[in-house]
Amino acid sequence: MKNTIEVENLTKYYDKFLAVDHINFTVKQGEIFGFLGPNGAGKTTTQRMLTTLLTPSEGTIRILGHDLRSEAWEAKRQIGLVPEESNVYTELTAWDNLMFTASLYRVPRAEHAARAQELLETFGLWEKRDLKVENFSKGMRRRMSIAMAIIHKPALLFLDEPTPGLDAQSIRFIWELIRRMNAEGTTIFLSTHQIEEANQLCERVAIISHGKIAAIDTPERLKASFRRAQSVEAALEPEEAGNGPGLAALPGVTTQVKVGDKWRLYTEDPSALLPRVVHYAEERDLRLISLNTLGPSLEDVFLEITGGQVGVVQNSVDASEFDKQQKMRGKR
Amino acid sequence: MNLQRLRDELAIAWTVAVKDVRVYYLTPGMIMFGFLMPFLMFFSISTGRGISAAQGVTRLLAMTLLFTAAAAGPFVIPMERRLGTYDRLLAAPMSLTTLLLSKTAMGTFFAVLVAMVSILAGVLVFGVQIARPWLLLVSVLLGSFVFSALGLIFGSIPTRNPGNVQMPSTILRWALLFISGVFVPLDKMAPVARAVAYLSPLTYAQDLMSHAVVGQGVLSLWLDLGVLLLMGVLFLWPSFRLHQRGRVLGY
Repeated sequence: MKNTIEVENLTKYYDKFLAVDHINFTVKQGEIFGFLGPNGAGKTTTQRMLTTLLTPSEGTIRILGHDLRSEAWEAKRQIGLVPEESNVYTELTAWDNLMFTASLYRVPRAEHAARAQELLETFGLWEKRDLKVENFSKGMRRRMSIAMAIIHKPALLFLDEPTPGLDAQSIRFIWELIRRMNAEGTTIFLSTHQIEEANQLCERVAIISHGKIAAIDTPERLKASFRRAQSVEAALEPEEAGNGPGLAALPGVTTQVKVGDKWRLYTEDPSALLPRVVHYAEERDLRLISLNTLGPSLEDVFLEITGGQVGVVQNSVDASEFDKQQKMRGKR
Repeated sequence: MNLQRLRDELAIAWTVAVKDVRVYYLTPGMIMFGFLMPFLMFFSISTGRGISAAQGVTRLLAMTLLFTAAAAGPFVIPMERRLGTYDRLLAAPMSLTTLLLSKTAMGTFFAVLVAMVSILAGVLVFGVQIARPWLLLVSVLLGSFVFSALGLIFGSIPTRNPGNVQMPSTILRWALLFISGVFVPLDKMAPVARAVAYLSPLTYAQDLMSHAVVGQGVLSLWLDLGVLLLMGVLFLWPSFRLHQRGRVLGY
């Protein structure tokens, strides 16, 4: 399978500040590739370099086989870009915005109207085609921004944080659109800090932290590689303040987090922890409302990699010592 | 560059220029700095000086071209940077040269349009006879291009705030106005003042207008045309460099 994006030693300094630090990755043709990272990690800087908006300090970028230093024009014809802020001409109507973009990308003139109508209908904006975009809501402007980015049917679409601040309906619509475009052959580069978005959409994700690529893999493999982020979730009744420290003291628990009316206990070995939680409840005459084991979420992986401290060992009670004590108590 | 690409780039430059005209011409900043200011300034400075109508038209034209053409770049580009729409243009399949030419073309259109008002006012209201109409057309186009390229230099300074570049560009335009023989004819200037005036593109534009409207100027017609053409091309170079710098800095 061909690579749509090839990045080698890509580096960006802002004066002396190193924003992107010699990163390497590839994006395969037809892939939905997630680029995850906390704010300030280097996501947008990287995307701006990939779309020719920013000149790299070092390194090479090849987009659809074209080196951006010498063949940017050829690459740009096949790229669509949806930036973080909707960059629509608010003084123009929805229709005129699309006509302008179609001309900008040299879409054959005979196809301008048909494509604009198709996109406006798809995006639910056909009735508002003659309204100036300054009258549009944030979600409608976002849809316009995406429509303008794909009117020339790009082979590669960059989306920078496409959904923050949108209502659930708009988010669902954009996700469906991304899936549909990908099914039709468009490679998607999705830059986001919304973990669930990447989890739902991406075949592979790269996690960037402090300007470096910290991990690249499929979401499921990344989750599997973080055993520490497995957990047992328990809801106890009556819920008492002492349950937190009590559960955290159970052997094998690396971190405990209160999640609504439940306790989430991170552990490398959920099967060993389950009976200890049951025993803890029995010993204190507590009722177990629910007890579940959970695999690591992509958010756990993300937090672990970017320094969010999930699964950090806090509990030093030795498991074998604890089990020995329980047996002794049982004998008594 | 192959022929197909050249055709595409020219078509895109035209598309961008037309869009700019539609989006930005009637904004308050453009109207104030580009349209009203030269007219108000002309009437406030020339009233009571006893200059002929033809001389008045040449001066008004020179001032109009300077203030109108050079107003577009410093206003439009930082504004587009702030709104994020400039990224759309930078990401589109066109070279930096094409983008800069499209922005220069926008300033040129704007200035030509406003110059038409000055010419029509001179001809219809004051009865001015244009000595060489064809030369007037060339002069207006060339002068607009040169001053638009000059304004583009300020628009290319990496900033997202139009106020940061409008102030220095306005000061420069005022300075050019006073050193360029618009108010004191070149042949009546002191030698030092005249030497300074020769550095200003407005000097040659004003003289060219005299050749076109009155039929004669102080300098040679070909010198005016040659210097203006050279300055127009030279003014594009710093814009190009500043844009490249902007891409390094992230603007």
